[in-house]
Amino acid sequence: MSLRAWFEQNRERRYIMFGGKGGLGKTTFSAATAYWLARQGHKVLVFSVDPQASLSDIFQRDIFGKGPVEVLDNLWAQEIDADSNIKAYQQEVRQKILDMYGFDQIPEEIEHYIQAASAEPAMEESAIFDAVVDIVVKGDYDYYIYDLVPLGHALYYLSMAKVYDEWINRITELREQMREHEEMVARIKRQKVTEEDQILHELQYIKGRINQSSRILTDKERTAFFFVLVPEQMIILDTEKAAQLFARFDVPIAGYIVNRILPAELAGQHLPPYLQNRLQVQDRYLDEIKKTFGSRLVGSVPELERDVTGLPMIEKLAAIMYGDGGR
Amino acid sequence: MTEQEKRSLFARLKEILYGMGAHDMSRYALRTRASMEHLFILITMGDLIGVPILPPYYSLRLLPYVVPNIATWKRRMLREKDISDAMF
Repeated sequence: MSLRAWFEQNRERRYIMFGGKGGLGKTTFSAATAYWLARQGHKVLVFSVDPQASLSDIFQRDIFGKGPVEVLDNLWAQEIDADSNIKAYQQEVRQKILDMYGFDQIPEEIEHYIQAASAEPAMEESAIFDAVVDIVVKGDYDYYIYDLVPLGHALYYLSMAKVYDEWINRITELREQMREHEEMVARIKRQKVTEEDQILHELQYIKGRINQSSRILTDKERTAFFFVLVPEQMIILDTEKAAQLFARFDVPIAGYIVNRILPAELAGQHLPPYLQNRLQVQDRYLDEIKKTFGSRLVGSVPELERDVTGLPMIEKLAAIMYGDGGR
Repeated sequence: MTEQEKRSLFARLKEILYGMGAHDMSRYALRTRASMEHLFILITMGDLIGVPILPPYYSLRLLPYVVPNIATWKRRMLREKDISDAMF
């Protein structure tokens, strides 16, 4: 099946993700797909959750941390600035403490905690996926194209989501037991029942957010995940492994796209032994890819004459991926 | 005995009865409640004493609500324990 046919047959799947090891072309594929869908008349947001995002480079416009920016009719691009999201979030927490207790400044110990918490690596993933929930929940676009963080991060987040969920159930249980005790004491002492437990509210909110973000990644009706790979031994093996892991976390894998294929017409020409060798090796790996992924292979993209930056190159890539001159 | 004296005697009697029966119960319930509170802070804010448990992004959301309890919690977690802890 071609990518185009896939999109025509799966019109309800509107959360499109490209994943794979770093540097294989996730961002260029995201941009080209967004470009093609926008040209089909859909309102599209392509956004990057990668701290080393390169949508700015591809569209040749600085969009980092600027919210959604319209780069073409119907085509919006956004790079999430996790760092400043975290800073804003910390400030929100500080302000809440100040307001709740009427302090003029945050107690030293608490401030230390806020800073230490933000330095942990899990912080960034959580902040990013939380921002994704905000973007997707608003529902302003027909299509959402995610330029995903490298595989490890996404898996880490998904596994985190499962653990979080379990944890929060337990904590909520504990919180409810605490509430029962409080009510018992109030009854014995004939006092009025204490005010609502705001922590319980927060816990339920957190649980809802985590569930929402992992649902976006695993929704079989609306999400489609495409793996990007190149014809190289290590990448094929890694992709297989990652695909198994993703399947275990219920990520709906829609297909595989091979990138950076040396053009076959090279073979007829006089080539230095180095390139001849590369072509032979590539043939072998392409066979292997066909054998391994079979009908789930939805696209093959050749190595282009230059890197994909700027709209003309994006259009060219879209034409290769979707046919019809990319329109 | 005036009406008022009678009433205050009755009130005192009520307090004594409460003290005999219910006070212990409510004290026990409050103690359990306090232990749970500390357990709760431990699993949400464990980082404060070097035990990371809940991921920090979300524990920060809970932080404002436990600010007043953190000092007593830390004291309880970090103090040395001896046999009298089990007795009282």
